[in-house]
Amino acid sequence: MASLEPRIHYEADLDPSFAREIIASSGSPSLMSCIQCGTCSSACPLSLYMDYTPRRIIAMVREGFKKEVLRSRTIWLCASCYACTVECPKQIRITDVMYALKRYAIREGVHPPRFPIPVLARLFYDTVRRRGRLTESWVVARLYLQTMPLRIPGMSTLGWKLLRRGRFPLLPEGIRDRRGLQRVLRVVERREVAR
Amino acid sequence: MRAHEIYPNGGPRIGVYVCHCGFNIAGKVNVREVVEFAKTLPFVVVAREYKFMCSDPGQEMIREDVREHRLDRVVVAACSPSLHEATFRRALEQAGQNPFFFQMVNIREHVSWVTEDPREATEKAKALVAAAVRRVIFHEPLQRRRVPVKDRVLVVGGGIAGIHAALTLADAGKHVYLVEREPTIGGHMAMFDKTFPTLDCAACILTPKMSQVAAHPNITLWTYSEVIQVEGFVGNFRVRVRRKPRYVIEELCVGCLQCIDACVYKDARFPDEFNLGLGKRKPIYIPFPQATPRVVLIDPETCIWFKTGKCKQTCLEACERAAIDFKQQERIEEIEVGAIILATGFKTFDARRIPEYGYGKYPNVYTALEVERLVNASGPTGGEVRLRDGRIPKRVGIIHCVGSRDERFNRYCSRVCCMYSLKLAHLIKERTGAEVYNFYIDMRTPGKGYEEFYDRLLQEGVHFIRGRVAEVTDWAITPDEEGKLIIRVEDTLVGAVRRIPVDMVVLAVGLEPQPDADEVRRMFNISCSKEGFFLERHPKLAPVSTFTDGIFLAGACQGPKDIPDSVAQAGAAAAEALALIDKGFVELEPNTAYIVEALCSGCKTCIGLCPYNAISFDEARMIAVINEALCKGCGTCVAACPSGAARQHLFEDAQIFQEIEGVLAYV
Repeated sequence: MASLEPRIHYEADLDPSFAREIIASSGSPSLMSCIQCGTCSSACPLSLYMDYTPRRIIAMVREGFKKEVLRSRTIWLCASCYACTVECPKQIRITDVMYALKRYAIREGVHPPRFPIPVLARLFYDTVRRRGRLTESWVVARLYLQTMPLRIPGMSTLGWKLLRRGRFPLLPEGIRDRRGLQRVLRVVERREVAR
Repeated sequence: MRAHEIYPNGGPRIGVYVCHCGFNIAGKVNVREVVEFAKTLPFVVVAREYKFMCSDPGQEMIREDVREHRLDRVVVAACSPSLHEATFRRALEQAGQNPFFFQMVNIREHVSWVTEDPREATEKAKALVAAAVRRVIFHEPLQRRRVPVKDRVLVVGGGIAGIHAALTLADAGKHVYLVEREPTIGGHMAMFDKTFPTLDCAACILTPKMSQVAAHPNITLWTYSEVIQVEGFVGNFRVRVRRKPRYVIEELCVGCLQCIDACVYKDARFPDEFNLGLGKRKPIYIPFPQATPRVVLIDPETCIWFKTGKCKQTCLEACERAAIDFKQQERIEEIEVGAIILATGFKTFDARRIPEYGYGKYPNVYTALEVERLVNASGPTGGEVRLRDGRIPKRVGIIHCVGSRDERFNRYCSRVCCMYSLKLAHLIKERTGAEVYNFYIDMRTPGKGYEEFYDRLLQEGVHFIRGRVAEVTDWAITPDEEGKLIIRVEDTLVGAVRRIPVDMVVLAVGLEPQPDADEVRRMFNISCSKEGFFLERHPKLAPVSTFTDGIFLAGACQGPKDIPDSVAQAGAAAAEALALIDKGFVELEPNTAYIVEALCSGCKTCIGLCPYNAISFDEARMIAVINEALCKGCGTCVAACPSGAARQHLFEDAQIFQEIEGVLAYV
């Protein structure tokens, strides 16, 4: 017989300020008025792959289940289609809440290991920050190296085709005034850290 | 002018009373300090505090002081004058003083409830008391006006609320005008088959009341009619009613319906309004067999005679009583009434506004009101639940909260949908044996016997899935979904998304104000709440009154309501109207405007501005004249008069300037 694991949650394990932080960084105070109707979950095209449905994520955020929420795959599966946000009867900006949770998880470094989406997010931002432009070939190459190196041989044919048609530049692209862009982004970053 | 100049012999004697209102005021304002301050103000003879000034001992304190200290002015610092001004004026009157030698200071709503800091609150209370003391010195003795009231009542709307109010008043011996826009009375209730939770047949309990209305000697019933103008004030309203032509003389028609059989259209082919387009009617028709009055009408939009001027007019030949009159014109009736009861009802939410549910796109998506007609024995299918293609549904999904509890449409809960959905679930299951699914956010069944009805449905095996439906689609994924409507929903109690194929979807649409509620509100000069329902004077203590005296509310025009609540409210509105007109007179506040004839230059500025048409122009003397009986004391003319000739009792310049100076002198 499989061993029994206790499913009880003690108040001491919860973070009472979690909901407040997420409201502040998502800009959606209506999160508190969620009536748990489940429209978001049924509108979501990806909820069938999620460990917690979006509705449950909202309930858990509100009650301070920080550990569980930040480790869930749900927030990384969100494809930002905004169907939930459009249909929510309480006008909760659920997609923005998901983004707030993703940012939080990256900051805390608690996202699921080798899960490509947070790695992609970071690579994307690093590239744009440094050069002012996205060079897809470099980002994709680094993503595969970091998260799924064993799948690189399987993708090589596609990579070769893209390369031949000029869709996959080898030289990194960039803008002229990179310093200026970095100055702007530093201001934004400082504000994000301050939050 | 200073007070001692007017009162060389000692001046007025003022009493100041500061109320604690339990902790409401005393929790923030230092009442003791305010009282001590008041004692220092000029002409104040006595200043006291008390826990509850409005209580009997509080009022007795004022009465005793008036007698003992010969007070001739009283200031009470307490709550809002709209709550207790009348109470304290009465106390003054009982002690033998003119009740208008009184000024009230609101240190609850204006001070203690809205000020954080106790120090600031106390200072503000003192400033306001100082202002009131200075103002009250300049008050004058005034007399209330007594105006006789008309002994008749107008009821607008002939649904169950209007019918009940009209019958109650008529039984009390008062004459009632019942005006209904549709060709028949009965309203929404007449469309229902059964009523929850007892499953009483709606027609069995409603139609006797409808025929009572038609037969009652004290009721003048005007159907197919609309109120178009309201003038006057409490006790004396003048109302104009437009009676639309039905092209049938109501007094002659006996409802034999032979004209309908004789119509040149052999088959009924036009969408029938009463059945929401699910059935068909002819150009000459009666809305439903029990319609009251039992009089046919002709729809000029579809009648060949009106459209082309060429018709054999077989209906005319068939009518033995010569009741059909193609030349009938609309008529305007003018009536005078003492009170008005508005019972204009509701409309249902337009389900097309939620495209995800596919209403109007998929023929098998119905609104609950349409299903009421389908299950009704006198409906288009004779009570059989059949889809538009004639099939009997095997699986039915009822979606709750359509248009309700939704920030995008209506924020409020429509109150009746849970219960009518349960009723429809029961009736559909009973008639078809179908599997019935209810998709709900929260089950709301507060009411006598309502929870028990929910329990009965649970035992009958109706499915209850807690989750709001995101989408109704015909896009099948599995073979058993082919040809069905698929409801996609999160079963929130299970925590997983489900796809449920059904043959029929019922949308439990919410209740909304009538589309013309805002125009009606303007015509009757009452207010609407944010959602657009008519606003009651007080949600708890004056639930059927409005801010306009003499106009009362009944039924769903005031907010979503089921039948028992509508009937209860209609009874209450009838009692309020009866209390008003049975007394024979109303007393009006003496806060009217008047013209100082010597100052009036005859510029006529005030005449066009007066919203109550209370000012006329005296051509002989070339001055404006105010009819005190019509003046409502709004003060528009006073503000507009360029020569300062228009003035207003209780708002004299001297009073207002002294009040302002009182605040400023203290600050």
